[in-house]
Amino acid sequence: MLESLLALGGLVLLRDSVEWEGRGLLKALIKKSALCGEQVHVLGCEVSEEEFREGFGADVNNRLVYHDIFRDPLNWSKTGKAFPGGPLGILRAMCRRTGPGPVTVALDSLSWLLLRLPCITLCQTLHALSQPNIYPGDNSQVEQVRVLGLLHEELHGPGPMGALRSLAHTEVTLSGKMGQASASILYRRPQQHATLQTWWFSILPDFSLDLHKESPLQSQPHLDPQTTQVDPTAHLTFNLHLSKKEREARDSLTLPFQFSSEKQQALLYPVPGQKSHIFYEPDAYDVDQEDPDDDLDI
Amino acid sequence: MAAAATCGTGFGSSGSVAAVAGRSGITSFQRRGKAGGTDGGPRLLSIAGTRPSLRNGQLLVSTGLPALDQLLGGGLAVGTVLLIEEDKFNIYSPLLFKYFLAEGVVNGHTLLIASAKENPANILQELPAPLLDYNCKKELGEDVHNPRTPESDDNMKIAWRYQLLPKMEQVGPVSSSRFGHYYDTSKKIPQKLLDISKCHEFFLPEKVSSTLAVESCPLSHGYTKLLQFVQNIIYTEGFDGSNPQKKQKNILRIGIQNLGSPLWGDDICCTEDCDSSHRLTRFLYILRGLLRTSLSACIITMPTHLIQNKAITTRVRNLSDIVVGLESFIGSERETNPLFKDFHGLIHIRQIPRLNNLTCDESDVKDLAFKLKRKLFTIERLHLPPDLSDTVSRSSKQDLAESAKLLGPGCGMMAGGEKHLDF
Repeated sequence: MLESLLALGGLVLLRDSVEWEGRGLLKALIKKSALCGEQVHVLGCEVSEEEFREGFGADVNNRLVYHDIFRDPLNWSKTGKAFPGGPLGILRAMCRRTGPGPVTVALDSLSWLLLRLPCITLCQTLHALSQPNIYPGDNSQVEQVRVLGLLHEELHGPGPMGALRSLAHTEVTLSGKMGQASASILYRRPQQHATLQTWWFSILPDFSLDLHKESPLQSQPHLDPQTTQVDPTAHLTFNLHLSKKEREARDSLTLPFQFSSEKQQALLYPVPGQKSHIFYEPDAYDVDQEDPDDDLDI
Repeated sequence: MAAAATCGTGFGSSGSVAAVAGRSGITSFQRRGKAGGTDGGPRLLSIAGTRPSLRNGQLLVSTGLPALDQLLGGGLAVGTVLLIEEDKFNIYSPLLFKYFLAEGVVNGHTLLIASAKENPANILQELPAPLLDYNCKKELGEDVHNPRTPESDDNMKIAWRYQLLPKMEQVGPVSSSRFGHYYDTSKKIPQKLLDISKCHEFFLPEKVSSTLAVESCPLSHGYTKLLQFVQNIIYTEGFDGSNPQKKQKNILRIGIQNLGSPLWGDDICCTEDCDSSHRLTRFLYILRGLLRTSLSACIITMPTHLIQNKAITTRVRNLSDIVVGLESFIGSERETNPLFKDFHGLIHIRQIPRLNNLTCDESDVKDLAFKLKRKLFTIERLHLPPDLSDTVSRSSKQDLAESAKLLGPGCGMMAGGEKHLDF
């Protein structure tokens, strides 16, 4: 499941709620992409850096580039460590990346940003961030960019939610039943059909994923099995199937408008400039002994 | 005079009328002679890819989908705006957008593509390829007198006259009119067609500088810049008749994608009571004014399902000429409904304009559905699938008896008996 989420690229929205938290899945995705050898940038706004890094191994922690906004969001301490421009400046700086290679950007969380920044600016920045840069040069590599955004859907109205959903290429909605978490994933490839999948999973303490009864329910139209379909080709008053002898008899029948091959050729490929020809093929049975025109003497 | 009149209608040229006038000497009616070509004259413009409407002579261009042309009364009138309300996941509306642009490329019209989401150069590369005509295939070197061709005559015994017709999918009339073309969505448009076409591109992130402060959100920058761009193109290329040296008139096809989305800098999709809601409506008003005074047609796709304020949606619809809404079945409960299993979504023609006319060409079919086949996008009338189950359309004898009891004594004693007459 994680590979399919990361494979598509673009903006991945993780919609969670109070009952079903999404930070675990976000960390599982970060761990997966870090172990694949990619660059991972994390914008931490809601939890502190220590809490976020907790549970990750050293190899993952070394690959994380952490931008901490939680400690000092408004830059009051003026130590110079904080990035000028605030979170928006950090996002814009991430847009200007150097060097090819897949990049994963994790935003924890997008809700925090949406509540503090105007929706339009955030949408435009996210769009610019998730566009792959094409580097001219060796093989014109297209860079794979993934932006993972954690969104608490209860905090926002339908307007901003709709706007962000229209930007996202993949949308994961977390829900569950009886203690079992499930993720409904909607893949929206730009030019293709949208597909919906549902997975039941649980996150282990080391942030790897444990999938339960893998039931990717694809939404397909299926016929109601209870209505019995009547076969319309049964109980007909005419014969739809031919036996072999009947087929041979049918093939040997001469058709009324069967022409000789010269006539067919002349009709199919009319030669321009030729006067019209008359093709006369007498019928086999039409031999009249008594021709009434015999005595005309023409 | 009657003979001369019939002679005049027979030839239809100015010569005979002038001859009549000269002969009789009393009429001062002079038909204006044929213009030498310097001024257009009062004749209808003959531009490639256009045709006059059968109803009122309005100049029409094709939308790229002959089925949609038919529903809109022949085509899209020059100088009007076609608004497409996007479906929920924006899968099918880009297809209509591309058909419109591909039709422009095939007819040699000038294109103007404006988008805030996708680079217009990429949109151009992904246009669908036109389906070849039968005539084109014949010219491509079919050797008529090839002695090997008689072998193909054996394929069809009864319908041998149809052997030469190309084996195409159910596309439409083989001798396709030059007005609307059919496109193959599984193939991309050939590069040589794109090279000879002329396209102006407007990609919003490039036009608006990105170093902006957070406080000042220039909401209307995008719209103003686009209007200036369109006006500039219309003026410099002479689509509004301002450049009299241009001999060959052409149509400008404008395509604007995802108008009204947050990427254009408009917050009508984000909040319900936005104070800048008039920016979009003002943009549409000015755009329509620009279009009416020039030889151009415009297609706009808009995510109206995201607009929070219904009043804005109504205003936007009023400001556009033709409004077509797409509703796809993906993700909704209609997807599993057996009624809709053959189709991918519904198409609603919400508005058709009355241009220079008191009535509009409304088609009488209101339930339309579309289906994206592998190669084609088809629009069909919504029909019910045949009900082949056992319990179809015959009420059982029990129901008949019960309903007969409700009829009352005055309705005949026949219904009360055991034997029921089956009508």
